[in-house]
Amino acid sequence: MRKAKLLATCMTCALAGCAGDGKGLDENGRPEGESSGGTLQPTFQSIQANVFTPVCTACHAGAAAPLGLRLDEGASYALLVNAPSVEVPALRRVQPGNPDASYLIQKLEGTAARGGRMPLNQPALPAETIAVIRQWITNGAPNSPGASGGVGGSSKSRFELVTLTAISPARDEAVPAPVRDIVIASNVELDASLLQSNLIQLRASGGDGNFDSGNEVPVPVNVTVRSDLPSVLAITPRLAPLEADSYELRISGGDPVAMADMQARPIDGDDDGTPGGDFVLRFTVEMTR
Amino acid sequence: MLFRKICALVALVLISSIHVAQAEPYFAVREGLKCASCHFNPAGGGMRNAFGNAWAQTALPARRIEGTGTDAWTGMLNSFVALGGNLRANATYTDVPNTKASSEFELQEMRAYLAVTAIPDRLAVYIDQRLAPGGSTNLEAFARYTTKDQHWSMQAGQFYLPYGLRLEDDDAFIRQVTGITFATPDQGVQVGYESAQWTAQLAVTNGTASGPETDEGKQASVRAEHVQSIWRVGAGFNYNHTSEGNRQMQGVFAGVRTGPIAWLAEADYLKDETLGPTERKQWVGLIEGNWLISRGQNLKLTAEVFEPDTDVDEDEQNRFSLVWEYVPFQFLQLRVGARLYDGIPQNDLQNRKIYFAQVNGFF
Repeated sequence: MRKAKLLATCMTCALAGCAGDGKGLDENGRPEGESSGGTLQPTFQSIQANVFTPVCTACHAGAAAPLGLRLDEGASYALLVNAPSVEVPALRRVQPGNPDASYLIQKLEGTAARGGRMPLNQPALPAETIAVIRQWITNGAPNSPGASGGVGGSSKSRFELVTLTAISPARDEAVPAPVRDIVIASNVELDASLLQSNLIQLRASGGDGNFDSGNEVPVPVNVTVRSDLPSVLAITPRLAPLEADSYELRISGGDPVAMADMQARPIDGDDDGTPGGDFVLRFTVEMTR
Repeated sequence: MLFRKICALVALVLISSIHVAQAEPYFAVREGLKCASCHFNPAGGGMRNAFGNAWAQTALPARRIEGTGTDAWTGMLNSFVALGGNLRANATYTDVPNTKASSEFELQEMRAYLAVTAIPDRLAVYIDQRLAPGGSTNLEAFARYTTKDQHWSMQAGQFYLPYGLRLEDDDAFIRQVTGITFATPDQGVQVGYESAQWTAQLAVTNGTASGPETDEGKQASVRAEHVQSIWRVGAGFNYNHTSEGNRQMQGVFAGVRTGPIAWLAEADYLKDETLGPTERKQWVGLIEGNWLISRGQNLKLTAEVFEPDTDVDEDEQNRFSLVWEYVPFQFLQLRVGARLYDGIPQNDLQNRKIYFAQVNGFF
């Protein structure tokens, strides 16, 4: 028995005292330069770096995120702004311009109709931090640095390229029918005036899964903006939800007109590290079993 | 009369052989029992069964106090319906570096359990509902069918995932990092196996932590444990396939009793494609000693380690806990403790200290 106690004591000691010294890391424990934090400002990037990443992603990250709410960088904006709450579907997690009606604020302030106050089982966020998040929502919950009327934010964009990400469906994903909308997110604010142009095209393969055989069928779509500032787009079939077939969504990144951001920088649609190239998303809608 | 009641409870403890119960894994290690000995859930947590309630009234508390003219509580309202509940209220003092310390009283949770066994020992419907704080939230709701020999069971609905040690402390790294907590049940089906020394569960679920299903991918979670009277060893595996990437984790856990001390240990290795642009590999581990000071008193010392990214140096985190637990009489537990976080110096939250006192009423 004495040996067992000694062994356990040694194992406990082995675990102790091995916390990292943080050398070369930022405040989130990531290598310096990978992400930037700075003083908390009422911008999405600042809130992401100072609140969502260091605090919330202890639980709300990746595939194990509670209620599917991922707050890790790259997913959080699309899952927060104008996205309905799972716990109280009548409320949006973030309703731009209205912090009191935003479920995120209610959860942070402990006034939500369901569940515990966030961060769960951790100290509540300081009132000053919540006030900054409120200010960001009041400003319209934009997804661009310094786009809050000059209030806070970095003066230098951290994004060198305008890139698009398929939120739902994902690239090459097979999803069950019917599909009512396709959600695309940009890393910066897009030029909304371009959405009226014929830059976004959706085609069905015609049943053969091939997009070069000549029997493709154009699917007319409506494009709506999910956020007050256009960085999340919902592309909705105009006539009916998508039924079983393979589909190709193409967003122009070149001639004659390219999708671009507010600085007229065209998207890096083909993800080759240089501006230009079409963004192509292919996915399959399967019969509902 | 009193003597007869106590005898009846002791007899119940001794003869009960179905659905064993537990409240914390160290209880099971100390007693040499499986989780299912005291809980409706075979992997532990939630409603206690008749044996669990009897044990909580006889073996757990420092002493037993009597009500006036009431029978002993077993949780069973009749042959078909059982009730249970938990209430945890905290007083917490939190000290975060460079931030003004805060203190608060808090109702952590009030949970109610209901099991309706329509066909005794064979078919049951179970609900675990979080009633407070805030509005009501369902945590578990499932129907379970058990074979006649009681070895196999199948359940469908929403339930906690089987993986690793089901600690009460959801903030333990092995719970928080793995994402397998009492706050993250999932919807799907589960097959369970129980024998004298083995317990195993396999669950296939949406993989969205009870959120809406957004893709075709599913999550599989397995837990198997071999139980002997003074030791046990188990393993877990979880794979979640999502459109955002895959997440895989595997781990081993064990328990052993050395005299008055019940030891727990778990180590998990995770590979997660959903945390960033590249796959992230993580380690998490826990060692816990539970010293039975005297009947009704337990001193818990826990050391935990978390390696957030094996490709990044000097980002490791530790967490140490010292908790004194006292059960003065049946159905009431008092807990006083401290939790010290030790992480990188530039992150204040990773270096916070929490001191707490908790009242835990359960039945």
